[in-house]
Amino acid sequence: MTSPTGESLSRLAWRRLRKNKGAVIGMIVLGIMIVMAIAAPFITPFDPSTQILEYSVKPAGFHGKVIYKKNLADPNVPSILAVSSYEEVGDSVFYRDPAGEPYRVARSTLVGTDPHEYYSEPLFLLGTDRFGRDLFTRLVYGMRVSLSVGLISESIALAIGIFLGALAGYYRGWADDVIMWMVNVVWSFPTILLVVAFSVILGKGYWQTFVAIGISSWVDIARIVRGQFFSIREQEYVEATRALGFGSMRTIFRHMLPNAAGPIIVLSTAGFATAIIAEASLSFIGLGVQPPTPSWGQMIKDGYGYIALGTNWGMTLFPSLSMAIGVLVLNVFGDGLRDALDPKTSQR
Amino acid sequence: MINYLLRKILYTILVLIGVVVVTFFIRPPGDPARVLLGQRADSASVEAMREQLGLDKPLPVQIGKYIINLVQGDLGRSIATNRSVTETILERVPATALLALTSIFIATVLGVLLGVTAAWKPNTWVDTLTLSTSLLGISLPAFVVGLLFVLFFGVVLEWFPNSGYIDRGIEYLVLPMVTLAIRPLAIIARITRASMLDVLGQDYVRTARAKGLSSRKVFLKHALRNALNPVVTTVSAWFAGLLAGTYFIEFIFNWPGIGLAAFNAIEKLDYPMIQGTVLFTAVVFVAVNTVADLVYGFIDPKVRLS
Repeated sequence: MTSPTGESLSRLAWRRLRKNKGAVIGMIVLGIMIVMAIAAPFITPFDPSTQILEYSVKPAGFHGKVIYKKNLADPNVPSILAVSSYEEVGDSVFYRDPAGEPYRVARSTLVGTDPHEYYSEPLFLLGTDRFGRDLFTRLVYGMRVSLSVGLISESIALAIGIFLGALAGYYRGWADDVIMWMVNVVWSFPTILLVVAFSVILGKGYWQTFVAIGISSWVDIARIVRGQFFSIREQEYVEATRALGFGSMRTIFRHMLPNAAGPIIVLSTAGFATAIIAEASLSFIGLGVQPPTPSWGQMIKDGYGYIALGTNWGMTLFPSLSMAIGVLVLNVFGDGLRDALDPKTSQR
Repeated sequence: MINYLLRKILYTILVLIGVVVVTFFIRPPGDPARVLLGQRADSASVEAMREQLGLDKPLPVQIGKYIINLVQGDLGRSIATNRSVTETILERVPATALLALTSIFIATVLGVLLGVTAAWKPNTWVDTLTLSTSLLGISLPAFVVGLLFVLFFGVVLEWFPNSGYIDRGIEYLVLPMVTLAIRPLAIIARITRASMLDVLGQDYVRTARAKGLSSRKVFLKHALRNALNPVVTTVSAWFAGLLAGTYFIEFIFNWPGIGLAAFNAIEKLDYPMIQGTVLFTAVVFVAVNTVADLVYGFIDPKVRLS
């Protein structure tokens, strides 16, 4: 289909989207987040589960002094010793820990041979948590979890929602009645409670969380698809596919679905944001993604105990802000997308 | 009208049956008896536990029994405390109701006020401020807002106590109530604004203006009344989201309602208690929505016929 100016509709939508300042900023921030999540190992100074117990609960901007020791269990992730000072004597390295106690290690057990390789003074940009893990590192890895939850859960929700919505809208009759009954049953539960319920049923874990969120969030999509199909079904090109003898599935997925794509896309950006919130909420209650995999919800829960003490707010504040920013940009982007795809908004 | 009423009620019962069946299946994976007793329990005591929980019967029998008990108001016994789940929930209803009702009240009043103000002068700074604040409200999950409030108003500024129940003073209500109200407030403000702008563009509003009524009168008497319909739907729909929000808010503020009980039950996998609280929330939600639907049916004949 083309617009009166001869542009394809998706091109027109893209042009409108680019003019929307909020949406563009949203896209850029989202892009940065995705790049950070993918490049996590290269931009973070530590492994997310590396603990330096001597450095537990340090404030943002803390500078440490550490010696990297070879880790026999996993050569890629060195063990870390916190030190206050060190000295090389022959084949040994003498060092004092932050409390001032002296120790000795053989140089061959350290990473590399030269102090430049095994000693460093890393910056803990956002401070550390109670196990002395770097908050910045965990925040970036938590972004991975949040974005994958959004992506995978929303894909599950889309698959179920589109399938059921299309069946209900295309066949109507008893298929519609049964599916709408299911929609109404699921709708009787607040989404987050349903996610909690499915998490209890499926158990804790990474994949269980994705599935629990996915199968709780398909109803809105199913309803939109059904509504769209109700009207699309009456259009002439659908009748034409029938006259040509196409099967129902071919008509539904090849011809009708692409014409219902606009609202589905808008709804899935909102769903993406909701999935991120749902995962964080689950981790906050202790269901969901389990330690040591870092997740924003867990980090917020960990920091919660320190809020009342009045110390180390960063442990709660930073993951909260990251989540708020993520959800905010998704919502702004979704709003822009809706305006861009809506043929009713005036062409500016 | 009677026909409409009967149809509506019958359908609600049908939906509730589905809700009960879903709730029945909320239990930890594997053998719940084994989960509860731990890995080291001998098979005889696991068997006894299975019998006690009724897990030795076939599934349809279990579901049937669950429904029969439910009709008698029996939600089973909590595994953690061995108290009746129904009793525990009932004694916690007032705390949650107080929190939820005051929050939705505040959210509705302020939300409508904000939305109307924004629609009064669209695309000005008032409007932009309302829209962006409400976007922020929508983007922050309730528990994060709660924690940030505890941090700023409880710890830094020390304006309000950051945890405890209202029996210690009215100031204990403030933070949990405001926290819970933020999201519905944001959404109600947006819906009111959109609906108001929509109504203001219609012919009868133009007619009212054309016949010389002051714009304030047109705005408040003619437009607002019709603009509020979608707002009422939003309020009733958001009531459920608010009830779910109490699970987190009550935990953060140590507010002894149903949500706190549910939160503790989830940590212990006390599944009869989880089932009870989830079911309770869902039933309240269905009831609120059905009543809202029926009220529309009375007010607006168009709803009855569709």
